[in-house]
Amino acid sequence: MKLYKNKRADKILSVYWFAILIIVAGGIFAMVYTFYGSPYDIREIEAELLTNRIADCISYAGKMNSELVVNGQFTSENNYLEKCHLILNSTEWEEEQFYSEVNFYKIQNMNTPVFNVKKGNAKWLSSCVLQENKEEKKLAQCVERSFYSVDNSNNQYIIKILSVVRKSEKNVKI
Amino acid sequence: MKSKKGTILIENIIFIILNILFISILMLFLFRQGSGAIVLEQSYAKNIALLIDSSRPVTEMKLNMKEGFNLAEANGINAEDIVKINGNIVTVKLSGQGGYDYSFFNNVDVTVYPDIYPEKNYVIKINGFK
Repeated sequence: MKLYKNKRADKILSVYWFAILIIVAGGIFAMVYTFYGSPYDIREIEAELLTNRIADCISYAGKMNSELVVNGQFTSENNYLEKCHLILNSTEWEEEQFYSEVNFYKIQNMNTPVFNVKKGNAKWLSSCVLQENKEEKKLAQCVERSFYSVDNSNNQYIIKILSVVRKSEKNVKI
Repeated sequence: MKSKKGTILIENIIFIILNILFISILMLFLFRQGSGAIVLEQSYAKNIALLIDSSRPVTEMKLNMKEGFNLAEANGINAEDIVKINGNIVTVKLSGQGGYDYSFFNNVDVTVYPDIYPEKNYVIKINGFK
């Protein structure tokens, strides 16, 4: 009779034992998977760097590049960013994963840009509109910065640079 | 009586086998994650891409990759093959698998090579614009 009781207790113990093992292992799997499974998201840093690179290309030490504007006249065509040593496509992706847009405003009128230049895939621009209220990690990341600069005739400009980086598959768990 | 004892023995063996199997799978999973090749490859590739994006010609940078060198050595990867630059794509390979690719936007000519002494570094040299 005593032997029968022990046997039953062993069976119950083994069921509980496995239940505990499954719970513990499940917890460990979940923690490790969450920690290592999400890629590092560096798109915002990339967008900042792209913005800085474009800013340096447009204006250096507070003076606008003379290849872009002379005496208040924008000399370049809309492909000025081709001169900024940027390569926005790669064999890694089927389509370009970057987009950049620069708008130049006269300081007297901040509503209408006097000139603008663009480069990259404009398809990602819609991500910025969608994220105006709430950030969505799976969409392309947008960074907008503005700065002040003058041309050779001391005409004053506010330059707004918008940089968009997608690369979602490599930066977010999809 | 004989059959009863036999049942108890089989139950015990199954119990032990299942336990061993369970723990082995868990340990294997943890060791694979812990070895960190996938995580390190990604980290180094993105780090190098950002360093290239933020630099101007002529720049020489040294990136300490001690952990990466140790892991690559354990996996039989040559120090020269850890970091490769192909066009505007950085590839970091620390294990026998394909490695991790990440692209950079700075259109520059880059040279990379290991500099193991005195520390396990990788040298990233920005020669000029393309």
